[in-house]
Amino acid sequence: MAKLSLMFEQKMVKEVPVGSRPVRIGRSPDNDLVVDNLAVSNDHARVYFESGRLVVEDRGSLNGTFVNDLRVERATLHDGDSIWIGKHHIKVDATGDAPLPYESRRKTNAGSINETMVLDTKVRRDMLQQAAAMGERTQFAAGRIKVPTIVVLSGRTDSKEYILTNKLTTIGKSAMATIKLRGWFKPQMAAQINQRDDGYYIGSGDKVPIVNGVSIPGPTKLDDGDLVEVSGVRLNFIVRE
Amino acid sequence: MQILTGGATHVGMVRTNNEDCYRIVAPLNLYVLADGMGGEAHGEVASALAVETVVKHCIEGQENPSAPLLGEPKPGLNPKSQRLLSAIHLANQNVFQSAEEHAEQEGMGATLTAAWIDGMHLSVGHVGDSRLYLLRTGQLQQLTSDHSLVAEQVRRGILTASEAEQSNLQSVLLRALGTQPEVEVDIEQVPLFPGDVLLLCSDGLTRMVTEPEIAGTLQAEPDPQRAAEKLVEHANEGGGIDNVSVIVVSLKPEPKGWFSWLRRGAQKSAGGNGSAGGQ
Repeated sequence: MAKLSLMFEQKMVKEVPVGSRPVRIGRSPDNDLVVDNLAVSNDHARVYFESGRLVVEDRGSLNGTFVNDLRVERATLHDGDSIWIGKHHIKVDATGDAPLPYESRRKTNAGSINETMVLDTKVRRDMLQQAAAMGERTQFAAGRIKVPTIVVLSGRTDSKEYILTNKLTTIGKSAMATIKLRGWFKPQMAAQINQRDDGYYIGSGDKVPIVNGVSIPGPTKLDDGDLVEVSGVRLNFIVRE
Repeated sequence: MQILTGGATHVGMVRTNNEDCYRIVAPLNLYVLADGMGGEAHGEVASALAVETVVKHCIEGQENPSAPLLGEPKPGLNPKSQRLLSAIHLANQNVFQSAEEHAEQEGMGATLTAAWIDGMHLSVGHVGDSRLYLLRTGQLQQLTSDHSLVAEQVRRGILTASEAEQSNLQSVLLRALGTQPEVEVDIEQVPLFPGDVLLLCSDGLTRMVTEPEIAGTLQAEPDPQRAAEKLVEHANEGGGIDNVSVIVVSLKPEPKGWFSWLRRGAQKSAGGNGSAGGQ
């Protein structure tokens, strides 16, 4: 029978079998697996069988449920997976006696999580493979290569199209600007586009850009198809796949 | 243009040793900051060795531009960026070798962020989760990408930026110096403008102080040294869970107008040393 083992660091705290009823996990004492930590929500997650497969479901917890370090709302579990809830983890035994196919990095890199650690290349490769597999298993679509592009619709520039490859793209007359504006009265640095982890943000320089007809109040995230007007030039932000 | 700098480091309120290391090489306009890791005192060894290696290699390159470069030259990079890339690869090699040769140093490593200003060009070299920010027209813009698991999850759309800030996996790095024989190094080339302010910092700052607070401090305090000290104070007020180090570099525009032009002319004719007014 499948079973779940609640672990804290290397010690097993409790083990429960997964039967026909969902296993309830959380901080309040009426759960099947009680995780006594403030980072854990009262009703944090559930594990149950669904058409023969073991599934973990986050119950809208504050700090999230992680399967092998990827945050999930719902994911199919495999033998040897680890569910992370706060600083505790739950080892998944889907067969009862089968060997663990996946060596969790935390088992080899046991140590406090506050200590900075590096995933060495092999472990990282495994994790990225896991991430790709997770893309199929959960609602996260596997990432296709996206090419953020600025297309010049009108105005004088040194090129008609620019692919954004740098952390910071400057728009202006400056010889060093990525998107060079032509014309006597153009500012050296009219505006700038900063690549952040979650997307591209346009901010003002000597001019305040207009995005989709509205002057931006501060750095503004660009979405696919947005229209940008700055210093007499009209630009179109397009994400190509 | 006049370049003013300031730097500060502090062990923080929780830890007992400071594994951060930074160097301001004023004559070269080169700034290097590293955050070490590894048990006992070996994080300190790693960050110091990494910083020393980068600084030495860049000074050698400055004195002799044809000094050998480590690794394949990357197309599209100017000589300073090329040198910086080579220096960081060399730092990786040196830290890795030291860890191989000394059993007690096993597992040590470091993050490293370096900025090199050449006229109005900035070269940035980076591995790990220390950061370089550019404050320009009141906006704080991050010029480095963290090589951390949570940042990668944000880039893949798995976490939102605010979820990443809450994550308990923030300390997991995907890249660092000295943990592998080879490492991928990020290099960026950015044009600079008068009035720009650069900030290099270890994660001890960015985990304790929000970006609007950082931007506000840099704007409120025009003196780079005092700004650096203020940022460290803010990190410690916020809890100081980690070592914190910052370098602030401020590009002051030359004063304009008739008066300063006359004054400069007077200084030139009065002082025997033409550069006396530059410092």
